[in-house]
Amino acid sequence: MSPSNGPSVPFVTGATFVRSLEGIHEYRLDANGLQILLAPDTTTPVAGLMVTYRVGSRNEAVGYTGATHLLEHLMFKGSENFNKAKRNTIWELLETKGALVNATTWNDRTNYYVVVPQEHLGSAIALEADRMRRAHIVEEDRQSEMPIVRNEFERGENDMTQALDKQLWALAYTAHPYHHPTIGWRSDIENVSIERLKKFYDDFYHPDNATVSVVGSFDTETTLAGIIKEFGAHDKAPTASAGIYTKEPEQEGERRATIKRAGHSNMVAIAHKIPAATDPDMPALLMLAFILGGSKTSRLYRALIDTALATDVSTTCYQFRDPSLLISYITLAPRIRHEAMEKRLKQEFQKIILKSVTAQELTQAKRFLRAHVASRRDGPYALLETLNEEIATGDWMRFVTLPQALMRVTAKEVQKAAKKYLVDDQSTVGYFIGSNA
Amino acid sequence: MKNEFHPAQEFSMSEGGRLFVAPTRIHDIVVVKGSVLGGRNMLPKTLDIIPALTAVLLDAGTAKKKKNALRDALAGKGISLSFSSSGDRTEFSGQCFPEDLPLLLSTITECLGGAIFPEAEVKNAKALALGNLAEAKSNTRTLAGYALSALLYDTDHVNYARPIEAQEKSTATVRRAHLQDFRKKLGKGGLVLAIVGDTTVAVARSATEKAFGKLSVGTTTVPVKQSNKKIQKENERLIPIADKANIDVLLGVGLPLTMKHQLYHPMLVLVDMLGGGVTSHLMQTIRERDGLTYGVYSSLGGLDAGADGHLKIWATFSPDAYKKSVEKLRDEITIFFSKGLTEEALMKRKEEMTGSYLVALSTTQNLAHSLHAIGANGFELSYLTEYPNIIRAVSLADINAAADLIPLNAFSLAAAGTFKKI
Repeated sequence: MSPSNGPSVPFVTGATFVRSLEGIHEYRLDANGLQILLAPDTTTPVAGLMVTYRVGSRNEAVGYTGATHLLEHLMFKGSENFNKAKRNTIWELLETKGALVNATTWNDRTNYYVVVPQEHLGSAIALEADRMRRAHIVEEDRQSEMPIVRNEFERGENDMTQALDKQLWALAYTAHPYHHPTIGWRSDIENVSIERLKKFYDDFYHPDNATVSVVGSFDTETTLAGIIKEFGAHDKAPTASAGIYTKEPEQEGERRATIKRAGHSNMVAIAHKIPAATDPDMPALLMLAFILGGSKTSRLYRALIDTALATDVSTTCYQFRDPSLLISYITLAPRIRHEAMEKRLKQEFQKIILKSVTAQELTQAKRFLRAHVASRRDGPYALLETLNEEIATGDWMRFVTLPQALMRVTAKEVQKAAKKYLVDDQSTVGYFIGSNA
Repeated sequence: MKNEFHPAQEFSMSEGGRLFVAPTRIHDIVVVKGSVLGGRNMLPKTLDIIPALTAVLLDAGTAKKKKNALRDALAGKGISLSFSSSGDRTEFSGQCFPEDLPLLLSTITECLGGAIFPEAEVKNAKALALGNLAEAKSNTRTLAGYALSALLYDTDHVNYARPIEAQEKSTATVRRAHLQDFRKKLGKGGLVLAIVGDTTVAVARSATEKAFGKLSVGTTTVPVKQSNKKIQKENERLIPIADKANIDVLLGVGLPLTMKHQLYHPMLVLVDMLGGGVTSHLMQTIRERDGLTYGVYSSLGGLDAGADGHLKIWATFSPDAYKKSVEKLRDEITIFFSKGLTEEALMKRKEEMTGSYLVALSTTQNLAHSLHAIGANGFELSYLTEYPNIIRAVSLADINAAADLIPLNAFSLAAAGTFKKI
């Protein structure tokens, strides 16, 4: 793939054009290495801006799990030029104009986004640039924000799937930081110091560790100039951020987790170790996950919902920067035993391992893939969200190359992936048991 | 707002049907959102589970195709389709590629007009419904919702939700014949259909007329909604559930208000000022200032199908701080209505609402849902573009008049979770 620039791609002073792929133009800010992705689309008079930082809960350790997420909350407390005293916080400046404003944190990245009527894009750029290096990270705000984050944690604990999910990851990973949930352990949320959060900010919130994406209705030259002016004010990080060198040791046998709580909810989940997002096996694994639990015609839906053994099924193939998990979640119908469901689920895995998938299943999966590809362009947020996850894996061009690779997947490759990764010794089995069932 | 942003057109269909078509510049997506008359409001309360079960089974086999053949035919084209039910209507949502719009629409009408409800499928659907009801008994937000409904509405009102145990009993008694009888109500009567995305008016109209033209008329009568007879007064219902880390709290009050009330839009603005975003009064005080919750939100509910509805406030609180948090919440509601209705707050909120409306309509899905809601709630198509002007025209006097409709001393509370003993 050679870099190319179409006639619509402007050259500007201060940023170097890198490449264009399917209407997405990449630049690099000369002064500090900030990556810039622009995807103009005048379908609607709305624009979206997202800043993705390459820092997530994988950069945390014991004692400060959840720090990335808590810091994300503190980033909304104001910065040097946008703050309560000036009555121009992000909420006052942009939410009051109708903007969709939020941020999310996950294993490999933290992102901040604004979807806004196009005339307010300039304000959004200025604000995001300001809080990249001039955010107010202070103890007073940590104290007021901590109980809010703790309540977010408590909300998640009320949810059976989230509760079991935490246990699965914690058991599947003994050394690698995917072990702990992004929201963190409760005691860490309550006790992490402001110094630690400030250090996180100083270690990772730099232009050369971030990507600014702008999509939707905007003038490319004006927007690029605005980004160069506002974000170009920051220096590169003084030192390269410390990489993660911890590798998860080889798993040597099946692991099992059980949660028993009052209630009527019951679930079985089986997680299998899979490689990192950029591994060549990932396209086949994604197809496998879809064929297992991605639609009303999937294997698990037909085997478990159509027979009233389960009330819900899903299979998720997580695509992370480091080796990850493929998890099937089954919500049990009343009076169905966990052991019986586990056995039934494993039988479905074996069917694919032994007999592969059908041509019809693969065709259906590829049609839904085409629909998914189209949906990624349905509004600024959909495009930003998808780009964000690809940036987190380390290669935004997967936005273009992954669908192409998926279309080339064969039934034999799906079977091969199932045989290689749906292995009991590489699995973690979880039961959520409701004691009132 | 530019007209070209919403190139929607409306066409009248037979039997009072309304077709909305909005070709947009999105590539390779056509979104369909529609409904026909036929819902739980047309049945006795004891049979109110039937429309939901019917909706689940509409694509589980027709006179022409068995379930797997029907679902495989859609999946083979990458078409998604689902049915659901609301008060007066049976609804459908789908997405397809431009070339498959005729297939999607003809499949919808085949399901509406020809679903056969095989015995085995009915048995499975009942088992799944009972499973979902059982699981709902552990869901703090769902349980608080049921409890609030019982506190706000008389048992005959369309918004009164029967207890889960009563629904379980009803589900067990459902027979195939019930579903077959209900399915006969579903025809083109009162059709509301929105088709949005990568299509043309000509293609959409032609495919709709061909598909729905063959459908029987079905029911055309919308039941008259009785006003809420429950006298609003401060009540409380706590639902203890063990092992819950978070308590779901709902505060609500019934309102003498429908969507056609002259103060409907002022009430929308008022409720948004109270708890409609981070800059709203409750988020700024209960969350941002006091740190008592991850989120507190106010909304209007129960207004579909011409019914009189309610104002609801939802918050989540830690069990350790439950009592204090509820007291604060009640205090701030009082403060908002006594001091928060200012010209400045109103202006900011109107700007926020008109801007967020524009942002929301930037997706095909949201535009289709908005057009369907306009049709189902009996508004003119012009409402789509007039809405921002309607909001801008709301005055402080309007807001105060809307506030006068709210019996402020009659907020009821329903909460579910693990309560600490004091």
